Amino acid sequence: MTEKLDLPQGTLDLLILKSLSLGPQHGWAISERIHQVSQATLQIPQGSLYPALHRLERQGWIGSEWGTSDNNRRAKYYELTRAGRKQLGVEAAAWEKLTAAVALVMKMA
Amino acid sequence: MFTDLRFRLRAMFRKSAMERELDDELRFHVEHETEKHVRAGMSPADARQRALADFGGMERIKEDTREARGIILMQTIAQDLRYALRGLRLRPAFSAAIVLTLGLGIGTNAAMFGIIDKLMFRAPKFLATPERVHRVYTKYLYEGQDAGGDGFSFARFIDFSRMTTSFDHVAGISYQTLAVGSRDEATEMSVGMVSADFFSLFDAPPVLGRYFTRDEDAPPAGVSVVVLGHAFWQVHYGGTNVLGKTIRIGDAVYTIIGVAPEGFVGTSEHTQPAAFVPLTTFAALRGPNALTNYNWTWMDMIVRRRPNVSVVAANADLTNAFRLNWAAEEAFSTAQARAHGNPVRKGPTAQESKAHAEAGPLLMSRGPQADQTAHVATWVMGVALIVLLIACANVTNLLLAHAVKRRREIALRLALGVTHRRLLQQLLTESLLLALLGGAAGIVVAEGGGRLVRGLFLRGEEAGVLIADSRSMWFVSIVTFIVAILTGLAPAFHSLRGDAANALKAGSRETSYRSSGMRTGLLLFQGALSVVLLVGAGLFVRSLSNVRGQRLGYDIVPVAYAEVAERGTKFTTAEMHTLTERMVSAANTVPGVRSASLAISVPFWSSEGRGAPTVPGRDSLRKLGRYGLQAGSAAYFETVGTHIIQGRGFAESDVANSPPIIVVNEAMANAIWPGQNALGQVMRIGPDSNPYMTVVGVAENMRVDDLSGKPEFWYYLPTEQYARQFGRLNPAMFIRVAGRADDYTEALRKRLQQEMSGESYVKVVSLASLVANRQRSWDFGAKMFTGLGALALVLAAIGLYSVVAYMVAQRTHELAVRIALGAGFGDVMRMIVMQGVVFATIGIVAGTGISVLVGRWVEPLLFAQKANDPVVYGSVAGVLLLVSVAATLRPALRASRVDPMTALRGD
Repeated sequence: MTEKLDLPQGTLDLLILKSLSLGPQHGWAISERIHQVSQATLQIPQGSLYPALHRLERQGWIGSEWGTSDNNRRAKYYELTRAGRKQLGVEAAAWEKLTAAVALVMKMA
Repeated sequence: MFTDLRFRLRAMFRKSAMERELDDELRFHVEHETEKHVRAGMSPADARQRALADFGGMERIKEDTREARGIILMQTIAQDLRYALRGLRLRPAFSAAIVLTLGLGIGTNAAMFGIIDKLMFRAPKFLATPERVHRVYTKYLYEGQDAGGDGFSFARFIDFSRMTTSFDHVAGISYQTLAVGSRDEATEMSVGMVSADFFSLFDAPPVLGRYFTRDEDAPPAGVSVVVLGHAFWQVHYGGTNVLGKTIRIGDAVYTIIGVAPEGFVGTSEHTQPAAFVPLTTFAALRGPNALTNYNWTWMDMIVRRRPNVSVVAANADLTNAFRLNWAAEEAFSTAQARAHGNPVRKGPTAQESKAHAEAGPLLMSRGPQADQTAHVATWVMGVALIVLLIACANVTNLLLAHAVKRRREIALRLALGVTHRRLLQQLLTESLLLALLGGAAGIVVAEGGGRLVRGLFLRGEEAGVLIADSRSMWFVSIVTFIVAILTGLAPAFHSLRGDAANALKAGSRETSYRSSGMRTGLLLFQGALSVVLLVGAGLFVRSLSNVRGQRLGYDIVPVAYAEVAERGTKFTTAEMHTLTERMVSAANTVPGVRSASLAISVPFWSSEGRGAPTVPGRDSLRKLGRYGLQAGSAAYFETVGTHIIQGRGFAESDVANSPPIIVVNEAMANAIWPGQNALGQVMRIGPDSNPYMTVVGVAENMRVDDLSGKPEFWYYLPTEQYARQFGRLNPAMFIRVAGRADDYTEALRKRLQQEMSGESYVKVVSLASLVANRQRSWDFGAKMFTGLGALALVLAAIGLYSVVAYMVAQRTHELAVRIALGAGFGDVMRMIVMQGVVFATIGIVAGTGISVLVGRWVEPLLFAQKANDPVVYGSVAGVLLLVSVAATLRPALRASRVDPMTALRGD
């Protein structure tokens, strides 16, 4: 079993927005994709995923639509809105800055 | 923003659709997860379990998601309300008991609040700057005692107006009951006599015409103009244009110049005056010297401070004016004494008397001369709050019992992942709903009961509708909210406390002793407070019976009083003499009348005083006290029922030119001739020219002024001899009937009215009604305390019943074991009843302790009654013990009938 990390505060929104930037997806697929892309390091706490999705939808950053999944079942698909795309840009930039800064400090001799 | 709103709205209105969607979405997730595990090689059952386990509490996630949607508040409130309502419907008796209990508690308080607010806090309607408007109060020492509040004469009012600079408005006011209208239509109504400046204190333009001007209110005689009250205008003139019409008020005819707006009462605390007339005009009718005479104190003074003048500065200004006025009044009484040939006595100076005047509260009940009613009302408000506390304790107790029954349900919901906060919110919603219903019931109670109660406190008050009064409604809302929190918190926390697994295992049987400790505590708290209230009730009831039982020195029930209002019909002394004789004979013709006698002093109505007598060889009799003078016909003593203890009363032979005689009362005889026989002594009243009179009788003591003070000094003269010495008689008399005078007043009035001429008319009242006015504070103290005390007792009994019944239910197992082991019917009964008795005893001890501490403060309100009366305490303890036994009987019976087989097999 690979080592799992807890998600730092506030990063869940960023991860959801990022994975939706690649195209509409339903909730389960979002969590699976993040799990896979992070090479099984990041496990989204399932209890937080749906509240987060609904919150983001309320904020108008993502939209939702019921569609049919690959195995022909009704699923709720989320997609990024324009506002969400902008928000992703802002949050991603902030994240870059933060990690870079943290890295600098950690390399301090 | 817009998405957000749309989202919330959709969430609210299409809630069930959204709920379904959420279910679908989450189910979809779990299915996908299961499939993934199956693909990885798990059995479908294991896979599903694993997926669910990973997912965590489904309910909690739903809850969080709903919350994230941001509709949580509105939605959950609606949900909780529905849930709470369902709960109420499921337990109708339980809910009704709570709503009723709270309704009684809140209703009592709402009713009392209305009264206290009216008496003490609410500024008169339309008053423009209430914070700067004051009533002027005077204080000084009279023979070493605090005195004051003797009202203003017109002359004193003028002095104060001229001698002060702190006020931009000064108004004299008086409200008197006068006959309004002519002859047949004449009705006695409240009329305001006010300065022209009075109206500018209010922001209340007349609905018709105008108010009177300063010129119309100026000496020497003012102008006979009148402003009508709105209600009077509506009732008597149908709201038509009345300007320029004339109306007879009291002894004079006035021209109508305006109508006050609806609801305008001036500063009257009781009834809406029918009309307002200029102060000067009314005063001048009294005679040529009425404006300069200091003796006729019939009015109050209202002032408005200039904006930049502090109350302290205003008080200094008023005190200064009072001291200047003091000297003027002294000079006046000296001049008057000289004119009447009386000895001139130099009174103390203003400084010696510590004369002091102040700008006090406009509302009399808050001022230094507040009557007993206001004090008792304040106490009753406190008592009402205690009743509310008891009601809250009761409801908390019921809810606690209920909470224990619900532990299993709550534990289950917690286990399903519902958060504590969410549950707390829901439980509080329940108690808020109960409190709201209680508040609504309270408004009904206050509306119905309030009329009754207001009648006791506010004379002649047209009871308004409580629901239309925003201040009362605010009060009810705030109280309701506090009640919700008070009653809801403890049960809610109790439900949430403790460990779910244990609760589920233990079932509804209570495992923790702590909660029952809390319930017992609440019960004892109720018991103790009930004792306090019942002690209060006992004390007031005893006071009332003391005051009723007190002999005032005359009979009350069979005696009526009649007087003639001359209303400008001028009688000569001779005419008056015949009129009075005709009246006495007329009264005697009414069936049921035993006797009738003329009189000049009437208990609790008006007293005649001619000062201290002059007795040869004695001086300073004035220092002994104040003396009252009564004059009566031959039948006087038998008519009023005053006993002659020595010598004789009046006889038909005591006429104007027979030897002058006098009867004195016992207190006066003992004070002037201690240890000597008063019969045969002589005394003179008034100027030197009056004859010496021989004391022929000693009457029992009589009280006509003060129910509780020292015995009063009274002397009695035959009417004809009185008339010879002091001038004319007033046409006033006492009539003794067989039975209750109250039943005869109308018959007497009709008969006597036939003797009247011109505008004059007869007024008949029973002595009982005059005296009842004075007994009012004890009367309603007794009624309110008894009513509230009984309410408290019932609540405490319900509390005791519910706690004991509950304990029996909890102890069914233990009782079953006892019975199985051979405990008899009597043993079990005794055990349970003793439990109640122990509670009651602790309550009695605690309540007695509190009552003894608080009692000192109530004592001044009581009548000839010590606050620590063992009889009262004993009866209260007895009543409480009886009630506690009664309340525990039913649960005890149930306990003794526990069938061990059933009880032990169950659960």
